[in-house]
Amino acid sequence: MIWSWIPQNWSLIWQLTWENAKLGVLSALYGLIISVPLGIVAARWRWFYPPTLTVVNVVYAVPSLALWIALIPAFGLTDTTVIIGLTAFSLCVILPNVVAGLRAVPAPVTQAATAMGYGATRRLVLVELPLAGPVIIGALRVGVVSSISLASLGQLIGVSSLGYLFIDGLQRSFPTEIYVGLVCVIVLAVICDLLLVGVRRLLTPWQPHRQVALAQWPGLQHVALRRRAA
Amino acid sequence: MITFEAVTKRYPDGTVAVDALDLEVPAGKTVVLVGPSGCGKTTTLRMTNRLVEPTAGRITLDGKDIREQNPARLRRGIGYVIQQTGLFPHRTVEDNIATVPVLNGWRRQKARDRARELLTTVGLDPALARRYPYQLSGGQQQRVGVARALAADPPVLLMDEPFSAVDPVVRSSLQEELLSLQRELQKTILFVTHDIEEAIKIGDLVALFRPHGKIAQFDTPERLLGAPADDYVAGFVGFDRGIRRLSFFGSQGLALSTGPVLSADTTVAKAQAAGEPWILVTDGGQPRGWVQADSLGGHPGDTALSQVPAEPFGHTFTVGTDSLRAALDAAVLSPAGQAVGVDDSGQAVGVATFDQLRAAIQAAERTADEDAADNSKERAERAESAPSQPGAQGAQSGAQP
Repeated sequence: MIWSWIPQNWSLIWQLTWENAKLGVLSALYGLIISVPLGIVAARWRWFYPPTLTVVNVVYAVPSLALWIALIPAFGLTDTTVIIGLTAFSLCVILPNVVAGLRAVPAPVTQAATAMGYGATRRLVLVELPLAGPVIIGALRVGVVSSISLASLGQLIGVSSLGYLFIDGLQRSFPTEIYVGLVCVIVLAVICDLLLVGVRRLLTPWQPHRQVALAQWPGLQHVALRRRAA
Repeated sequence: MITFEAVTKRYPDGTVAVDALDLEVPAGKTVVLVGPSGCGKTTTLRMTNRLVEPTAGRITLDGKDIREQNPARLRRGIGYVIQQTGLFPHRTVEDNIATVPVLNGWRRQKARDRARELLTTVGLDPALARRYPYQLSGGQQQRVGVARALAADPPVLLMDEPFSAVDPVVRSSLQEELLSLQRELQKTILFVTHDIEEAIKIGDLVALFRPHGKIAQFDTPERLLGAPADDYVAGFVGFDRGIRRLSFFGSQGLALSTGPVLSADTTVAKAQAAGEPWILVTDGGQPRGWVQADSLGGHPGDTALSQVPAEPFGHTFTVGTDSLRAALDAAVLSPAGQAVGVDDSGQAVGVATFDQLRAAIQAAERTADEDAADNSKERAERAESAPSQPGAQGAQSGAQP
């Protein structure tokens, strides 16, 4: 480990991290934007869901590199190619949770909303989606973390990301670069995840169990559990 | 007024939930639908605000067919309370209550002011306005549910087992408060329960359902207990219906004897001279306890009754205010087999034996039967002379914003 390499290449590291973040976060966001309407349709018309889920799962089974190569003829060696591929993968995580979140809205609540005089659209926007929110954000967290991690592979088709540090480090037999890349990917993923936890807390002051977010974190589970027991 | 005319609900699998139902819910009255589960009572309720659409028949609200109205608009004019409260977990108490006013286009602040007002109406502290539903107890949530239903001041309330999920003590106080609210607000209430006791307590009229959506009897609670239409009704209302019916008879007609009531400073000799098997000893007018005449023999004649050990008198009944049921219960629990009647300030007025109670019960039953006969004659006459009166009733419904 050659520590002096880090300050010498600070601007490179920073640039790669930023590009990696952009690819990962945008992919997860597009995944969310596509999943919500699909999920709404799937929650309302049940027949729509099984075939959609099958398609999404099959796409997820395709190795990311293979999917990008398939997209290159259309979009070239660009960010677009990487983002389309990662968006397709994130659907597999986010879509089922949008559906699950909407289906988990308690029946008495939707029934009461209807009986108060909400039409279907208002009920969806003002009652069902807000109540499905925590589940959807939970899925978005997983989506963002996995997208950030996968985005580093974009370097394989020449799209700038933290993957550059892995490839370059390997080619030059220079482990420091690989370790730095690894730490950057992890830190980036953790920061994005914690930001989403914050967003969820802001949006759901009505939720009773505050420790749950903490308990989802591997390694922190014992902290949350101990606090609950106390 | 809500009217069901030959309303049937048949599900695609052939199950008949409600079968050619005819029912009239008079304006300003509480009608309770009661029956075993699967008898169609909840379906009937939900057809009223079009959460369920009937297969056949007609439902009118103040003379207007509900199918001719926009469902969302119709529902905003009908309060709805359910067992699981159906409160919106993501909204504060005040915003939950303000739901329908906001839908009706009120400004949020005005709707919230109204919500705080309603919190007081349903017996909650307005300080709870900013809480979320999960921070409230079951009873408090149910009160918020009632406040939400009342928010837009709808003329009609539908209540589906609203108090079934809370503990008996809270349930009883919620029932009392509904009764006192209703005395003040005079809503047209359709109330569903599986609990016959609740039906009898809450309802001006009770519709007792048979399985598969037929009404077995539609009557006042007192008649349901006193004159069940058949064995099914009698079985459903329970074996002690005779005693429960006494709740509807006041104790003002009950003859009381004052002979056995003696003050604590009376001597044993005088008490023996009264010739009563049991003496009710009073202290400053308040009942103190029963003394058996036979037990007085062991005491010198000039001993005051206050020196003689007395047996507890159980509970008393307030003459005129309490029912004959309370009086009978007092007699059953009394060692002397006599009920102690007191006035509003707790002063003993007299005592009643089982014989006196029996006479009062029989007199009350005669009066009730005569009233019932008059009522049914009246109802029959009304039905003949005026098959429908949409004009006068329609004006009321127009009050909805």
